[in-house]
Amino acid sequence: MAPGRAVHVAGLEVRFGERRALHGVDLDVPAGQFVGLAGPNGSGKTTLLRTLLGFVEPSAGVVELFGDPVAALPIRARARRVAWVPQSEVLRDDVPLLDYVLYGRYSLHGALDRDTAVDREVAGRALSEVGLLDRATDGIAGISGGERQRAVLARALAQETPLLLLDEPTTHLDIGHQIDLLARVRRLCEERGVTVIAALHDLNLAARFADRVVVLSRGLRVADGTPGAVLSEQLLARVWGVDAELGIDPGSGLPYLVPRRLVTEAPRALGDLTGGPVHVVGGGGAGAPAMRALVDAGFRVTAGALHLLDTDAETADALGVVAAVEGPFAPLGEPVRVRHRLLLAEARAIVIAPFPVGPSNLANLEDVRPFVHAVPTFLIAPRPGFELDFAGGAARQAREELKSMGAREVASAADAVAAVAAALAPAGRPAAPALPAER
Amino acid sequence: MSLNLGSGPSPARARSLSLTWVVVIALVVAGAAIAGTAAAFELKPAGPSTPPASTPPTTTNNTTGPRTPETVNVTDDLGRHVTVPYDPARVVVLSPSIMDIVFRLGLRSHVVGVDCYAPLGNSGLSEDYSPDQIALWGLNGSMCVQVGPSFALETLAVLEPQLVLASTIVSVAAVEEITSSLGVPVVMLQPPTLSGILVDDSLVGAIFNVTGAATTLNAELNSALYNATNVAAQVYTFPTVLVTYSVDSNGYWSFGPGTFGESLIELCGATSISANATTAYPELSPAQVLIDDPQYIVYGTGFGLNESTYAGGPDWSDFPAVQAGNVTGLNSNWLTEPDPTMILLGIPALQAVFYPGLA
Amino acid sequence: MATTGVGPRRRVLLGALLAVGLGVLILLSALLGAVSIPIVLGLRILLHELSGGFLFPSACAGSGLTASQCSTRVLIVWQIYFPEVLLALLVGAALGLSGGALQGVFRNPLADPFLLGLSSGGTLGAATVYIYHVGLANADLYLPLFAFLGSAATGLLILAVARGRYGSVETLLLTGVALANLLSAVLSLVLLYNQQGSLQVTDWLLGGLGLADWNVDGIVLGSVLVFGTLLCVFGRELNLLQLGNDVAQSAGVDAARTRRRVLLLSSLLTAVAVAFTGIIGFVGLVSPHIVRRLFGTDYRRVLPGAAAVGALFLLGARDVSYLAFPGSVLPLGIFTAFAGVPFFLFLLYRQRRASTMGGL
Repeated sequence: MAPGRAVHVAGLEVRFGERRALHGVDLDVPAGQFVGLAGPNGSGKTTLLRTLLGFVEPSAGVVELFGDPVAALPIRARARRVAWVPQSEVLRDDVPLLDYVLYGRYSLHGALDRDTAVDREVAGRALSEVGLLDRATDGIAGISGGERQRAVLARALAQETPLLLLDEPTTHLDIGHQIDLLARVRRLCEERGVTVIAALHDLNLAARFADRVVVLSRGLRVADGTPGAVLSEQLLARVWGVDAELGIDPGSGLPYLVPRRLVTEAPRALGDLTGGPVHVVGGGGAGAPAMRALVDAGFRVTAGALHLLDTDAETADALGVVAAVEGPFAPLGEPVRVRHRLLLAEARAIVIAPFPVGPSNLANLEDVRPFVHAVPTFLIAPRPGFELDFAGGAARQAREELKSMGAREVASAADAVAAVAAALAPAGRPAAPALPAER
Repeated sequence: MSLNLGSGPSPARARSLSLTWVVVIALVVAGAAIAGTAAAFELKPAGPSTPPASTPPTTTNNTTGPRTPETVNVTDDLGRHVTVPYDPARVVVLSPSIMDIVFRLGLRSHVVGVDCYAPLGNSGLSEDYSPDQIALWGLNGSMCVQVGPSFALETLAVLEPQLVLASTIVSVAAVEEITSSLGVPVVMLQPPTLSGILVDDSLVGAIFNVTGAATTLNAELNSALYNATNVAAQVYTFPTVLVTYSVDSNGYWSFGPGTFGESLIELCGATSISANATTAYPELSPAQVLIDDPQYIVYGTGFGLNESTYAGGPDWSDFPAVQAGNVTGLNSNWLTEPDPTMILLGIPALQAVFYPGLA
Repeated sequence: MATTGVGPRRRVLLGALLAVGLGVLILLSALLGAVSIPIVLGLRILLHELSGGFLFPSACAGSGLTASQCSTRVLIVWQIYFPEVLLALLVGAALGLSGGALQGVFRNPLADPFLLGLSSGGTLGAATVYIYHVGLANADLYLPLFAFLGSAATGLLILAVARGRYGSVETLLLTGVALANLLSAVLSLVLLYNQQGSLQVTDWLLGGLGLADWNVDGIVLGSVLVFGTLLCVFGRELNLLQLGNDVAQSAGVDAARTRRRVLLLSSLLTAVAVAFTGIIGFVGLVSPHIVRRLFGTDYRRVLPGAAAVGALFLLGARDVSYLAFPGSVLPLGIFTAFAGVPFFLFLLYRQRRASTMGGL
């Protein structure tokens, strides 16, 4: 028995009639690891878990729990090694929680034994670990869905197994309970060395709580590694067919994915990628909506001048937007301003985002001025109550000046996109900008 | 965390051992229980004054010896060999047809119980016995022995009988109960044919020392049978008849082959339209009756059935026999209960339907 | 389930009171039947026999009965009524146990001992004796024997057919229902062509304690002790089966094997009951529910509780039948319904607990 190897799966193949649910899957899980099993519906996550539990017979391959093949283990012995928290459990009787958790102690007894003090102690501890000890005498039928799922977890914990399998345990839970449940499982893994394999449909939860993420797609293992290594936009597009943006949670340093739309959704072809780009002037996160909206609408987008570590800079990077970027918190230097002006010169339309202006980026409003005449320029109005001028009134003045020079004010990023599209409509040639009403 | 992964013997084996012990102990207890209850409370026949089996039983036929025997060995209609007390004073009769024999042989005073249906009492008596029979034989509800819907042994036991005469309406299980629990002998009388009635007369006569009366009765029966067959022998073509003993919305219940009713009909010189049926008591649909078109229709009365009951049957008024007025009612007991009354009263009445002048 | 907080001394007292009450009930029930026995006389007879002749050496003294009348009364009370009372307790226990076990295995509150067609099988077996006169000479042996064989064979057939991959709850249930209908049709055919015997078979179908005697009681006692005890051992497994086959298996229960064993034991218990008392309905259905309402759904309690409740229920039905209709012996199945339905409805609508078994 290889010490420390909780699960060993090699070349696993599972067929249901004609359909192959799992193809040649390999998986080695060392003891004490928290594995998040991810994949779209029908990818084989549940089948894999059920094979580990011995419910499903593989047509080929090796499945071992702690060194012994699952098929060779009698049912009781299996229950001593692995416990299962299913997605939902059907129980119509109103069993008191403590008794329900005590059911999980079955495999530790013979046919005629009564529940001992040890059993009750373990059950009580399991209940307190899921935070339900004060409800021990309440019936299971009368508790909420979230509590119920925790009760199921408690029952599995009472089984005192070194391996715990969870099948989409967060399905029926609200977000608070989802995090609560997984946090408790995580703590169990860390404090008691329990090996956990959890099928999770939420990649971000997997990234947050699992040591290792294994991704299945159509019965194949397509990714396996730490969340940072595994989670990528390409993965989400390839496996789930979803366009997403990858971000890094500053607090934990863990990656997270923000799904945007389905891959098959064609962008509204308002613009074509030939012809010049649309330039977004922004910073401090204000330029991101415009950048995104323009990219979604099919325009090539440039941006500037941004600061490194600014979220706009990160968004630009993520969207593939070419940007003029200055060092963090530095005033805009000559080289960056030159680069910015070059970008402005190439643009066929300009969108000025409602970005907070301070001494370090006041130059952005100045550099834009020469180009307002030449190309359609749109000024996104700030949200009411938001102060944008941190440059002692110079910013406000500069914005008024731009308006008087021909920049049109629009209400939002979406309006800006529509206005750009309208302005560039006839074969991409810039049309004469419509005169604003207050001109 | 303790990780007992060993499929090693100790805990599991100990558990399965204890289960084995439980099974062993349970079997031992069960065996003791069976043996104990059967032995400790061994049944001794507590029937009053049943003759001990050790006295050598003597057989009697019609010849009489100087000494009246204690018991008689008889073979009943089901082939059972039964040892019965000779001329018992307390007899329970569980069938109207047997009661007929017993009464005609002058043995009414010996009868302490008759068959009834629950609820007991006069209403239970009337389930099996017609008002005429009850009046004629002087029966009352206190003589009731419950034979249906289930057999109640205590109602028999309380009458302290020395002999039970029963027909097959009493279930085999009940017969066993009577003999084994009460130690009272049961003679089953179920004549298979008309001539079997005469055999039963002799049998009863032998038991009760009234062989003379039995012989006389049988002579009467023989003469009645002879007269009837004489009439039938003089006829070339038998008329067709529907003899029905019950009616419901689906049709008319009649006598099929192998039944007393059917043999009566034949004996009287008629052909029943259900003579070739597949079951013993077929229900004929009105269509069937119309096709077979019997010349006569005879219906059984009693126990709630009378002319208007049959008149309400399906398509009754369409039958040519009904339209021609060739419809007669007969006491259904005469057609269904195999006893001397069937021969002495039933046959002439039936024959009179077909051959009003000749009988 | 949490204890009721009754101290051990009070529990002993309660237990003793119950035992005494039960004893009194049994003694008084043994005085009831189609022939009424005066209470004093009856008790003297019972105590005389129970003490092996030690008490009341002349049981009938002062009752004005002749010797033969006395011995008849003794016979009635000791050989007919008392065995019937015991048989009622034993068969009631068997049916209660069997019904509870089947409700557990099938996770169905409407399951009863005859769910799998054991009633049709047993009736066919009885019909073999009643109609075809098999074993006529020893009917008291062959009737229960064939009824038992018919019933047990039906159960075994179902277990044999619905096995392995087909051993799911649904397959078992449907096989049982299909078999029940088939046997019922065969029975109807048999009865159609044998109308004379059909009357007796119909009597048997309605259920009754008439076959009770000490030998019968011994056999039934042994069977109930063996099969019933073994069945009660499965209380824990049945608890876990309620969570679903997969969850039960993940917790260490061999669901398929447990199902087979429980069904086997339940079929044997039912077959024994059917062999000696015909088809008595409602006891097996209702007794487990009564226990659940009062003591919760733990099968380690429900099974033995259903045995006790079933026993008292059937005895109660017998007593009610004689008290309500004195002088006649009426089919017991009628009275299990009469006695049970009002009480059950009362329990149902009392709403003391939240739903048990999904709202029943």
